[in-house]
Amino acid sequence: MNRRHLLQTLSGAAMASILTPELAQAAGQLRQGAAAGLDWRVAFADLDTDLPPTPMRRVSGRSPQGLAGSLYRNGPGKFHRPGGSVDHWFDGDGLMRAFRIRDGEASVAARFIDTPKRRTDIAANAVVTPGFGTSAKRGARVENNDDANAANISVMPVGGEIWALWEAGSPIALDAGDLSTKGIKTLRPDLVHMPFLAHPRREPGGDIWSLGLNGDKAIVWRLGRDGALKGADLIALPAASYVHDFTATDRHLILILQPWIQDRQTLPYADSFSWKPALGTQVLVLDKADLGKRRIYELPAFFAFHYGSAWEETDGTLRFDGCLSPDASFATANGRSVMKGVWTPEPSPILTLIALRPDGRASLEATGVSAEFPRADGRFAGHARRYTIHATGAGDGQPLFHGLATHDWKTGRQDTFSFGTGHLVEEAVFVARPGGSAELDGWLLAPSVNLAAKATELHAFDAGQVAAGPLVTWRMDRALPVSLHGAFVAG
Amino acid sequence: MPSLPDLRTMVLVSLTLSLSVGVLPAPAFAADETGALTVTFRGLKARTGAVMLSLACSEAAYGDKAPAAGQAMIPVSGDTAVVTTFKGLTPGRCAIKAFHDVNGDGKMGANPFGIPTEPFAFSNNAHGAMGPAKWADASFEVKAGDNAQTIDID
Repeated sequence: MNRRHLLQTLSGAAMASILTPELAQAAGQLRQGAAAGLDWRVAFADLDTDLPPTPMRRVSGRSPQGLAGSLYRNGPGKFHRPGGSVDHWFDGDGLMRAFRIRDGEASVAARFIDTPKRRTDIAANAVVTPGFGTSAKRGARVENNDDANAANISVMPVGGEIWALWEAGSPIALDAGDLSTKGIKTLRPDLVHMPFLAHPRREPGGDIWSLGLNGDKAIVWRLGRDGALKGADLIALPAASYVHDFTATDRHLILILQPWIQDRQTLPYADSFSWKPALGTQVLVLDKADLGKRRIYELPAFFAFHYGSAWEETDGTLRFDGCLSPDASFATANGRSVMKGVWTPEPSPILTLIALRPDGRASLEATGVSAEFPRADGRFAGHARRYTIHATGAGDGQPLFHGLATHDWKTGRQDTFSFGTGHLVEEAVFVARPGGSAELDGWLLAPSVNLAAKATELHAFDAGQVAAGPLVTWRMDRALPVSLHGAFVAG
Repeated sequence: MPSLPDLRTMVLVSLTLSLSVGVLPAPAFAADETGALTVTFRGLKARTGAVMLSLACSEAAYGDKAPAAGQAMIPVSGDTAVVTTFKGLTPGRCAIKAFHDVNGDGKMGANPFGIPTEPFAFSNNAHGAMGPAKWADASFEVKAGDNAQTIDID
């Protein structure tokens, strides 16, 4: 080995010890983004203070006649503090947005949810409260689930309020007008601090069902349409799976027990689960009228956050769709690394139809379509439906999605619009056309973060003609952090 | 987020025992060698039931592995101050665990997943993270003569 070679070798080793693969990758992605003038990190940056109601500028198209109301959207909005930051996207403080559309104009407001976690972290000047993927730090104060409640996943309008939902603590009630926090919702005194999932299932015009998980036990919540408690039953589960969402027909609750199994008590929460694909995925079907009546179906191992509403066919087959991944790597890896400004390319979740047949067989039918955030026309929840609305276009060098689509289960046809890699598109919410009743007769409302403009936009599409592009686009003068889930209140 | 399965047992198992009023045996020390500790509770929202507390004067006792130095049940009603005094304490480090038995059933209430539903607190107003406050955070020096602790509960 000559001297020059030795020096090269040494410097290579020195570089390797400093330049971790993550850092190298971040640097590479920054260079690529800079070349294109785009940086997806703008969509994961902090909002530092509440945003008062602010008009949005209409940049193209016209607001459709009859579209009026408020789109509430929730998602983490504050990740960094001087003394320490979150380690996972899912642990940012809940930020409620209200996009309000009236007389062809749109405005936006955003307000942080005043949780005990946020108060503790502000007082500590550091993120000290543990969470989904963030450890507890000195100064943490967690004496019940709601002390760690980030209230940052979804929103449910109910009883004239909006409830910010997490998944391991209580709903937190907000004023639907000024988005101020009213407080933790205790549905019955003896059930204070019990978990309530972020994805309740609402029967059209009827009851609201939700779950709360604790290892291999769950509470089944049944609320009236006004949010009053009608039932709370404890059930045992065949596996201590991670349950983020469930689904329902008009008569059944369907719990998908994926093999990401809680097998130890540790923090952060995500670290208490192990991926055990050999167990497969179990699907537990409960009768709403008698929760003791249950059936269990077996499917191959998969991971999913989200499912579409389910329906029962005339032969008794239950069907629903989900956005399925091979494993929990988004939850364990990329959900953390995005907070470091790093995205490791991973396959998109795939829209998949699941069938549970009366003879006990279950099957998966993958469409091959990139999909997340599945939604449907809520008037058909629990009943046969033809369409799924979803985000689409993932799997390249940046996180999240570039387009939205509807999938027609009858023809297999996709009606898709892509904004291209210059936008990160958020979940689309269906808004029914006043006076209409046919499935998908209405609009899709979806924000996106326009990376070139570094600004959040709100788009309205004709739900039946997605490929035609937005009917109208409004733009803010800044980007808000990408949100997770929303709900529309007409009026 | 996890539930806190061990919180109830770890924090307050000693307090769920039937409590007699916390008057200790006659002190074995001359009066000027022992400490008196007055404990005052503030911030109670409900003026019902009783505050139950356990005084531990060793880390082992704090962890329920040795007998407590004292226990007390302080009835809560009206505007009466919620206060109790322990006398004849051997000077040294002690810590307090307490809960407000709002419904007066003698037990610390818990929801179906085992999370306390009645307020609890520790000396020094120390807080726990997924469990009781640590001895290092909750313990304080009891000196010969008069000592005081004021604890915010609720």
